[in-house]
Amino acid sequence: QGANIGFGGAEHDSSLPVEITADQLDVSQADGRAKFTGNVVVGQGEMRLTGAVVDVEYGESATGETEVKRLHASGGVTLFNGAEAAEGQEAVYTLETGEVVMTGDVVLTQGENAMAGEKLTVNLDTGTGVMEGRVRVVFQSQDAQGAQGDGQ
Amino acid sequence: QEDSPVSTLIADRVEITADGKLVASGNVEAFYEGARLRAGRITYDEDADLLEIEGPIVLTQGENTIVLADSAALSPDLRNGLLRSARVVMDQQLQLAAAEIDRVDGRYTQLYRTVASSCEVCAANPVPLWQIRARRVVHDDLEKQLYFDDAVFEVVGVPVMYLPQLRLPDPSVERASGFLTPSLRTTDELGLGVKIPYFFRIGDDKDLTVTPYVSANRTRTLELRYRQAFRSGDIEMNGAVSRDDIRPEGPRAYLFAEGGFSLPNDYKLEFDIETVSDDTYLLDYDYSDKDRLDSALNLSRVGRDRLFETEAVVYRSLRSSEDNETQPFLVGDATWTRRYDVPVIGGTGSFQLEAHGHQRRSSEDVEGRDVGRVAGLLDWTRAWSGPVGMLFTADARLTFDHTIVDDDSNYPDTINQTTPYGAVEMRWPWVRQDAGSSQVIEPVVQLVWSPDDGENTPQDESTQLEFDEGNLFSFSRFPADDVQERGLRANVGISWTRYDEAGWTLGATVGRIYRQDDLGQFSGYETFDGIESDLLTAVRLELPNRMTLVNRALLGDDYDVTKNELRLSWDSDMLEFASTYVWMQPSEVEDRDDITHEWRIDGDWQINDRWSSSADVRYDLELDRSASARVGVVYSTECATFDLSVRRRFTSTDQLNPSTDYTFEVQLAGFGNTGEGRSSASRSACRG
Amino acid sequence: CGFTPAYAPGGSAYALRNQILAEAPSSTEEYAFVVQFEDRLGRTSDAAPYLLTYSITTETDGLAVTSDQETLRYNLSGEVRFTVTDRASGAVLTSGRTESFTSYSAIGTTVATRASEKSASERLMVILADQTVSQLLATAGSWQP
Repeated sequence: QGANIGFGGAEHDSSLPVEITADQLDVSQADGRAKFTGNVVVGQGEMRLTGAVVDVEYGESATGETEVKRLHASGGVTLFNGAEAAEGQEAVYTLETGEVVMTGDVVLTQGENAMAGEKLTVNLDTGTGVMEGRVRVVFQSQDAQGAQGDGQ
Repeated sequence: QEDSPVSTLIADRVEITADGKLVASGNVEAFYEGARLRAGRITYDEDADLLEIEGPIVLTQGENTIVLADSAALSPDLRNGLLRSARVVMDQQLQLAAAEIDRVDGRYTQLYRTVASSCEVCAANPVPLWQIRARRVVHDDLEKQLYFDDAVFEVVGVPVMYLPQLRLPDPSVERASGFLTPSLRTTDELGLGVKIPYFFRIGDDKDLTVTPYVSANRTRTLELRYRQAFRSGDIEMNGAVSRDDIRPEGPRAYLFAEGGFSLPNDYKLEFDIETVSDDTYLLDYDYSDKDRLDSALNLSRVGRDRLFETEAVVYRSLRSSEDNETQPFLVGDATWTRRYDVPVIGGTGSFQLEAHGHQRRSSEDVEGRDVGRVAGLLDWTRAWSGPVGMLFTADARLTFDHTIVDDDSNYPDTINQTTPYGAVEMRWPWVRQDAGSSQVIEPVVQLVWSPDDGENTPQDESTQLEFDEGNLFSFSRFPADDVQERGLRANVGISWTRYDEAGWTLGATVGRIYRQDDLGQFSGYETFDGIESDLLTAVRLELPNRMTLVNRALLGDDYDVTKNELRLSWDSDMLEFASTYVWMQPSEVEDRDDITHEWRIDGDWQINDRWSSSADVRYDLELDRSASARVGVVYSTECATFDLSVRRRFTSTDQLNPSTDYTFEVQLAGFGNTGEGRSSASRSACRG
Repeated sequence: CGFTPAYAPGGSAYALRNQILAEAPSSTEEYAFVVQFEDRLGRTSDAAPYLLTYSITTETDGLAVTSDQETLRYNLSGEVRFTVTDRASGAVLTSGRTESFTSYSAIGTTVATRASEKSASERLMVILADQTVSQLLATAGSWQP
């Protein structure tokens, strides 16, 4: 039946390792930061986060190794997680809480349905989220979807 | 709001819950193809494809249906689903309150345990004037109809009528077949009867209204009205057929049909047919107070400097004092006129050809006289400005008429006659303009000559003569060309008008005709006979689009009033009336046996936003009683209009006895578009 | 006494004759109105600087109803609303409204009543045209450029 607009479809675990590819990388050991620029793609499990520039903050994990604490993507960002996709100007992903906060003309689409607003706060682990600002939800009613042969 | 085929939801905040639901809150609105819903909170359940809505809900469908509800469960396209404890308001008039409302395919709205009324219900008066309680009401938004099941009609809370099935048009309907407002009518002659009109909407351009009118064993009547519009014109037919005990010997009927068409290059064709089975039918049923019927066919074409009109008329007199044998019953007229600027000598020329004929059924000598006439007219007029602002006008006219007389031994079969006219006129208008007003005084002297003697032609048409500012300076005071005015006469007049800057206008005209000698053309006509005519005096007072008073009096030789006519028209937003007063001496030559002395008032008065009244009273001051009176009172609330009118006729002839008839009509607002907007003022029933 | 001859040189309506083109008539009543207006203020050609537009409404009321319901007299009341516009600029120079009535009796034969009715209508148009011209003459000073 109708695909879900939320993020609960695909299970996600924010403690999985994070791979980041980019055209260029500048590292500053002093304050544990790294700046990826140029077609940056951040991958974690099924989730993909892309952006023009991604600042990564590292920190001590419980077991003492350095790991990624926070990612700050900007300059036009997209977030894919299974069937859902969200676009915005900026996004901050805090791995500890599994929460992504995307701001700036955010558009969340899922098949024919789409939601647009100013600020989207999504928890990848629980699949819940909140869109704020003058939110517009556009959705195909059941029969209209059927009519367009977009059968599930 | 987009009319996109998709549904749109707008809110300040939308939460995505773990189980994939969307919860929208904060100024929540949903749109789908013209339907718009505002609510407190909407939860969109993707799996069930349903919007769970919490109130207060306002759903508007098109511009004239609003649904208010506390909670609802609707499909995303707002077309299907259930609203709980809802109220439907149609065209800001009709309200249907229901425990539950189902919407089906965005077209049908089914309301259960419904109360429908257009009366305003509020704390001050919780029980509306009328309401319809029904087990179920279905509103078809496509057909714009309301279907009631097990409907109980309650007036002030008291059940008055039970109808298993009831169909009524919703308020936005302008043209739909169905019952119109019934009315009760009681008259002295026909007793208490009821009229139930039914309107058939045959098409956008055609409709038929059938109105049975039944009165307890006094009359069974069927009234019909058919109307049809064409691209270039329209026709309307009104008629009725009756069997009643006023004339039990046979069916009585009447037909009034009229129509007008515009034909290519400016021709206009108009017709009207009037016929009735017996002389008093129209009066008995108050269909018309015409006392002479005329069926006519008219073709005309009028433009700058040219006029063409031809008309054939069949007359039938309903007057008991007239015999249709000796009244001209068939009349034909044709006029063809041209005006043009005259070259070389300047001025204006005009040329007219006229044909006339009238026939009487009887062929008795004199009594049954038939007359035919062909007349030609050639006229030239030119104006010069003279010294010190004088304006001179010279006028030369030649008329020729060929008259054919039948059934009258006093006249030869044909009479030819040529009548030249010559005239000179001097106008000398003086003007004064200052801050507060502008005035004009215009003395006019006109000398008209035509030969003293002419042929003796039958005078069938020019028997009733009038004298006013319109013919003070005309060549002939006879209304038709059957007689020409003769001799040397001077028409002298002076008019003064003051236009005040505050907008009111006061004007006066005085005039008289002086004849070189009395040719006896006007003997018996007190106004015109002798060397000097009566003195014409006219006064006019106008207040800016509020009131106009015109009084015209004719004064005899020693300034005694021989005729006085007054008309006062008043027009303000709450009160509008026209009142006329006429006093005329008897005139034997015009068969006016006794003094005409009558006062009439005809007007409507909007007393306040609920009450309005109308009156049309004719009072015969000579006999000191009213000749006829028609008084009406209308009480209108936001949901019903009560209209009571009384007509009193004071006749006393063998066929017609005096009669009074009352008509009472109740119109419920909210069903069918009654056209006249309901004034919002009458909605404020919940005062205080 | 402050009055000056309207048509004398320097008079307010000196340059008014033959300057106003009346709108073409489309009914017998309007034809009679235009003829009287032209007879009073002079005809003109299509090059006239001013245009007179007018709308005439008339109404007939029965009077003198006898005891056997015969209506022996009729009142024909009429109102004309007129404007004079400058044909070049289309600006409305002046406008006005006036009203009057004529009457005719319906005692005579059918053809007599018919002739009286037609004559009453023509006389009413003459009166309305005269009253229109009087207003234009009297106020010419204030609206004629």
